[in-house]
Amino acid sequence: MKKYWAIFKLQLANGLAYPGEFIGRSLMILPFMWIFYQLWRVTFEASASTEINGLTLQHTLWYLVIAEVIELSRPRVANTISDAVKDGSIAHILSKPYSFLGYHYSSSMADTVFRALLNLVLGGGMAWLLVGPPPSLWGFVVVLPLLLGAWALNYCIAALIGLLAFWVEDISAFQWIYQKLAFILGGLLIPLNFYPTWLRTIAEALPFSAMTYAPASLFVSPTLNGFLTAAGLQLLWLLLFVGGLGLLYRRSVTVLTVNGG
Amino acid sequence: MAAITVRGLVKTFQTKRKAAGLGGSLRSLFQPEYATVEAVRGISFEMEPGELLGFIGPNGAGKSTTIKMLTGILHPTAGEAEVLGYCPWRERQKLAHQIGTVFGQRPQLWYHLPALDTFILFGKIYDLSDAETRRRIDLLAEAFEIRDLLETPVRKLSLGQRMRCEVAASLLHRPKLLLLDEPSIGLDVVAKQHIRDAIRTMSREEGVGVLLTSHDAGDLEALCHRVIIVHHGQIVYQDKVSNLKRKFLTRKTVEVRYAGEVRQDFRLEGMRTLKTGRYGVKLEFDTQQTPADAVLARLSAAGTLVDITISDPPLEEVIARIYESAATEVG
Repeated sequence: MKKYWAIFKLQLANGLAYPGEFIGRSLMILPFMWIFYQLWRVTFEASASTEINGLTLQHTLWYLVIAEVIELSRPRVANTISDAVKDGSIAHILSKPYSFLGYHYSSSMADTVFRALLNLVLGGGMAWLLVGPPPSLWGFVVVLPLLLGAWALNYCIAALIGLLAFWVEDISAFQWIYQKLAFILGGLLIPLNFYPTWLRTIAEALPFSAMTYAPASLFVSPTLNGFLTAAGLQLLWLLLFVGGLGLLYRRSVTVLTVNGG
Repeated sequence: MAAITVRGLVKTFQTKRKAAGLGGSLRSLFQPEYATVEAVRGISFEMEPGELLGFIGPNGAGKSTTIKMLTGILHPTAGEAEVLGYCPWRERQKLAHQIGTVFGQRPQLWYHLPALDTFILFGKIYDLSDAETRRRIDLLAEAFEIRDLLETPVRKLSLGQRMRCEVAASLLHRPKLLLLDEPSIGLDVVAKQHIRDAIRTMSREEGVGVLLTSHDAGDLEALCHRVIIVHHGQIVYQDKVSNLKRKFLTRKTVEVRYAGEVRQDFRLEGMRTLKTGRYGVKLEFDTQQTPADAVLARLSAAGTLVDITISDPPLEEVIARIYESAATEVG
């Protein structure tokens, strides 16, 4: 574990080498939150009620803060793996005594934690100004473990897509599909509470909701039952994806050809 | 026990073929065509512990592919290999503890951070104590003359400085074997010399074996005991560097300068005039055809000698001749 912790810390230091770039990218959450606020304020005004399907404007905006934090800071490991295969730098990772997937998990989580903190401060600060404080302080207790689960799931899926680079030259189509599915079925733009029942049932049965909807909705309305269900669901999906990732990795390394000799 | 044993190693892979232009792109969408590339075609050799072995060949000869199989990065299509008692591709992580690697064209140092950060990280990765890591950094900083460079971000180092740090980092955990893939690529003469000196010193002092690939014969001459020459994925020559020189360095160049003006015809069987001047001459001869003493006798008879230089042709030339003869045999 010591080596993975060291990789995590060094990647964190690497991120700090260019703080401007990280902060600049995190500023994106400000216009997002402003647009969401305007959109949902008009929607709530039009419905002439303070609550739609159990969510107030304050709930909705804080839900969106957490959903955006998860999305904007998720481990972007698909491109990292794909680039390492294409430019041959994978040789260095594979010639060291650590697990390839463990190395990428540690280094991508460093970026994730860094981005998440910045996005939470900026996005949360803006939401606080617009609709007031988070609905419940318990939300922070509940959301932390669920965030780790969400990112682990995100990592597994992104790494699965990244490993496809061992076979195909360009993985961007797979990334595009995954991102759009995560947007729609994860409840990134609209909380699943507002979906028709049939679509919500489908979405809740898929891993995307365990990554975005579950942590974000429990942040605004924390319950022990809800937390246990979400954590159980994340664990189930994780077991499935970790198994799949392990299998695909073992297959991938046997077909690797390193570009440039 | 040999440090490396390789038997019948083969690596083939498929590459997509596509005709030029939009038509070609469309055709390859529906009817993709693949070509099989045989990068390594049945290589077998052994390397003794502590040996300095050069793996020389032109671009695309299969050198890097072989070294990547020996580090466990690539899985071979066929054949067997044992490196320090491990099968590289089945026991990659165990083997990684015992070897150091440098892939000249791909940096392992973290680009935006000082090299010292990567050294400390490697200490953790190879399970060294903090005190041992510090001791090793100290020793390597001295051997590779990098003490003043360690705290500079790697991106700000020159290529020669970076390569010295790269090789030093690969030795941090006291590996038994160093696998260097093109360690001198792109370096100027002085930087090459620096790297070679440091590798030679560390190999001698720590008993570390070195397998290096290069297409620079200078690396071979300066560092290696033995050489394996590969061409088109096959070994075309393997022997001690001294034997290679003896067998193939029979062509000598001799340059003489006289005290006074000379007007002589130096023609002798097996001797070729390269350059003539009023006070001297430059000739080439083959020791197998013309004994050196006959050449010297002829030259000294022509006048009073004030200077004489006899030199071997560059090793590049020798290796080029071996490639050519191998290509003729293969072709």
